[in-house]
Amino acid sequence: MKIGPFSLRGPAFPERIGWRDHGVGAALGLAYVGWLLATARSLGFPRDEGMYFHAAIDYVRWWRMLFERGRDAVQQGAIDSAWGFNHEHPALMKSLFGVSWWLLHEKWHVFADASTAFRLPGMLSAGVAIWITYLFGARAFGRRAGVVAAALLALMPRVFFHAHLACFDVPITAAWIACVYVHWRAQERRSLGWTLAAGIVFGLALETKHNAWVLPAALVPHALFVHRHALLRGLRAGRVALPASLVSMALLGPIVFLALWPYLWNDTLARVQWYVDFHLHHEYYNIEFLGRNYFGPPSPKGYLPTMVVATVPTVTLVLFAVGAADRIRNGARRVRAWLAEKLRRPKGAVFVRDASETDLLLALSFCASIGPFFLEKTPIFGGTKHWMPAYPVLAILAGRGFQLVVGAMRRALPALAGRRLLAAEAALLVCLLAAPLAVTIHSHPFGLSAYVPLVGGTAGGADLGLNRQFWGFTTQSAATEFLNDRAPRGSTVFIHDTTWDAWARMQEEGRVRSDLRAVAAPHEATFSLVQHELHMNEVDYDIWASTGTDAPVYIVEHDGVPIVSVYRKP
Amino acid sequence: MTRFKTACKLRAAVTDPQREQGNRARELQRGLQRWAFALVPALGVIELGAHAVQTRSAVRDGDWKAARDFVSSQSRPDDLVAFAPRWVDPVGREKFGSRLATVEREAPGDVTRFPRALEVSIRGAHVPALAGWRRDDEHRFGGVTVTTLENPAPAHVLDDLVSMVDGQHLRVFRGDSECSYGHAPPQSGGLGFGPGVPADRFACPGGGFVAVSVVADLDYFPHRCIYAPPLGGAPLRLRFQGVRFGRTLHGHHGLYVEAERERRGAPVTLTFRTGDAVIGIAVHRDGDSWKSFEFDTADREGTVATELVAEIGAPNGDRRMYCFEADTR
Repeated sequence: MKIGPFSLRGPAFPERIGWRDHGVGAALGLAYVGWLLATARSLGFPRDEGMYFHAAIDYVRWWRMLFERGRDAVQQGAIDSAWGFNHEHPALMKSLFGVSWWLLHEKWHVFADASTAFRLPGMLSAGVAIWITYLFGARAFGRRAGVVAAALLALMPRVFFHAHLACFDVPITAAWIACVYVHWRAQERRSLGWTLAAGIVFGLALETKHNAWVLPAALVPHALFVHRHALLRGLRAGRVALPASLVSMALLGPIVFLALWPYLWNDTLARVQWYVDFHLHHEYYNIEFLGRNYFGPPSPKGYLPTMVVATVPTVTLVLFAVGAADRIRNGARRVRAWLAEKLRRPKGAVFVRDASETDLLLALSFCASIGPFFLEKTPIFGGTKHWMPAYPVLAILAGRGFQLVVGAMRRALPALAGRRLLAAEAALLVCLLAAPLAVTIHSHPFGLSAYVPLVGGTAGGADLGLNRQFWGFTTQSAATEFLNDRAPRGSTVFIHDTTWDAWARMQEEGRVRSDLRAVAAPHEATFSLVQHELHMNEVDYDIWASTGTDAPVYIVEHDGVPIVSVYRKP
Repeated sequence: MTRFKTACKLRAAVTDPQREQGNRARELQRGLQRWAFALVPALGVIELGAHAVQTRSAVRDGDWKAARDFVSSQSRPDDLVAFAPRWVDPVGREKFGSRLATVEREAPGDVTRFPRALEVSIRGAHVPALAGWRRDDEHRFGGVTVTTLENPAPAHVLDDLVSMVDGQHLRVFRGDSECSYGHAPPQSGGLGFGPGVPADRFACPGGGFVAVSVVADLDYFPHRCIYAPPLGGAPLRLRFQGVRFGRTLHGHHGLYVEAERERRGAPVTLTFRTGDAVIGIAVHRDGDSWKSFEFDTADREGTVATELVAEIGAPNGDRRMYCFEADTR
């Protein structure tokens, strides 16, 4: 069967995946981490990151206390004083940020910048996401698909931006795909090891970010479908035989979640309730979409599709469409064959049965990670970062799409063989990866301002009225491009959306000149910064009225689009 | 038999080209299908090319300078100078400087008073407010286009109340207490602070200022206006001296966006009087954004008011960060 030029066959035959593949996946992941480390210093500190740096130091202090004075550490006073800060997010990543900072910056001086040590666990989680994406793609569709999936995930500008940060969005992306992968393997292998791993990894995902609450929406129906025959047999025999991996998730998941978050060890129910309520009734921060500032519900239903199209390289989306169409077509053929069998009219369709129901799992995972963003009440202030757990699956299906394109190329050029075929495949790969690579490189350090060529790049995004940035991290660019060279000694700077902590850390690490003093109001400042977002226009006008000038002396731009205005008091 | 053979030959002569055509079409279709995969890498190459073009298409500094020099040589004091698209406005202000891109031009009450506009645009964008204006002239400076537009019906402004906010032309009272005009450190803040307060302002006993500021409306457009927040209780009275009347008293009013957008505040009433006569009353309710008003003053046309009073009141002053602009025309 064919869809256009692409041959459609039954489920792909998994190749034998072994330790060499782990080596390939790990190498891809480590290469990405290396790239992130090499570019980390040019990226300023977003507001949230400053909070997590602070929390990380508190948390690692407690972990050290636990090992040094364990009895004192488990007293509620000690726990609450260390873990009380930023308890709206679980502890795993902040603990890792803290441990990394303590060991790699404070103790062993591996990183000169404390921030790089804080950020390393987040970067490593990006590496893990790439590693697992490779493994998943390779196992499901073949090594070629795995490599391309990993590369396309890495070469999404927004993923690249967030992968630098000591935040939770890339870690939950890694934890999500790890959870889905382990669950998948558990269905296939049905061993105790994989079953336990499913529970533990789910617990780690819960302990990473609350996106994990949605994971059961993908994993439970999938496991029930995989085990449907056994379930039905059990029910007929009068017993409920739940899949072991689900039982493991239900038991071990909460245990791991609670065990790794000391803040929940006291007043457990009340604190869990508070945590859940905080996210179910989260404040709506504003965000610009198509020229309008959204402050609350109803969130526009077109937000997710538009932002995906505007921020994920188009060739990646086309490959995803090819791969997804293949799997949908395959699913439709299965359903038709099943119906024919039920109606006792077999048409001779032969399927290689995929006992793990890979396509279903990928579809459920993808839908579960994006589904909440079609609800009117779901806040959209995070831009694309909140649905990044969908991207590994998107990339895996894009990898499948690549495999189909390669197959079509081989059929179109039957005479090609040996090195010439290899060269043709390499050329094809270059054609498909060059744009995502170029777009991703160019987006740095303005990853939130950059949009893909389909919508006109950064300027096209501005034309469409898409959000230009948030979190005030671009102050560092204003410093490196202007303030550090041109501000008189001891100048005062209104730092706008940047936090005091972030400013102090930038000075501590020599990113901003140490003699410059941050102030809270433009009229007190020699220089005033405005990080451009639609609702920040009011700060521009504040400066015009209070200082008497409306002309910035310098503008940090990305492709001609204003990112930060620098005013000087007349 | 012969006749049959002849008929077959004839039919073959007719059908063969059709069959051949059909075969060719099928072959072409198969060929297209076979090579359709090439669309995907081709798209990758196109995306790369588009990226290369887009990242090199930022307007060069020299183009901005040439456009600035042109506008500087052509503009008259009563011209509007405006930048398009909206997002390039900060760059326009940086390149043109505050002498050309004045606050008055950047944050007008509306564009009706400008007889002519110099629209400075990139990427083929236009200023929506100038859509109905007649295009007079166009000059290109690389990536920057300067278009001269004529206002089909410009308003002739006699007196602009915003420009009369000083110690000579205005006295301000909150209730019976007079607010003093003076110079003090300006006031400003970050997001959520409200309109900035300039150094030159009226300061009222018990708190509150009246001064020329710039307010962001619900769409975050700037408007230069008289910042006159009512505190609730006694109304704020602005007594303008020697205002010349025309046919109308025209203006706009609004609140600072953060004070208005949640639509929870009390309405603000602006009443214009001269002597005992009420010229007009305008009420601003949250959600109205930057709202226009116009009162007929034809019966006073050509006269000069000894005192034109703008009275601002609200049932309570909670976040009533109110601003208005008005002129006689």
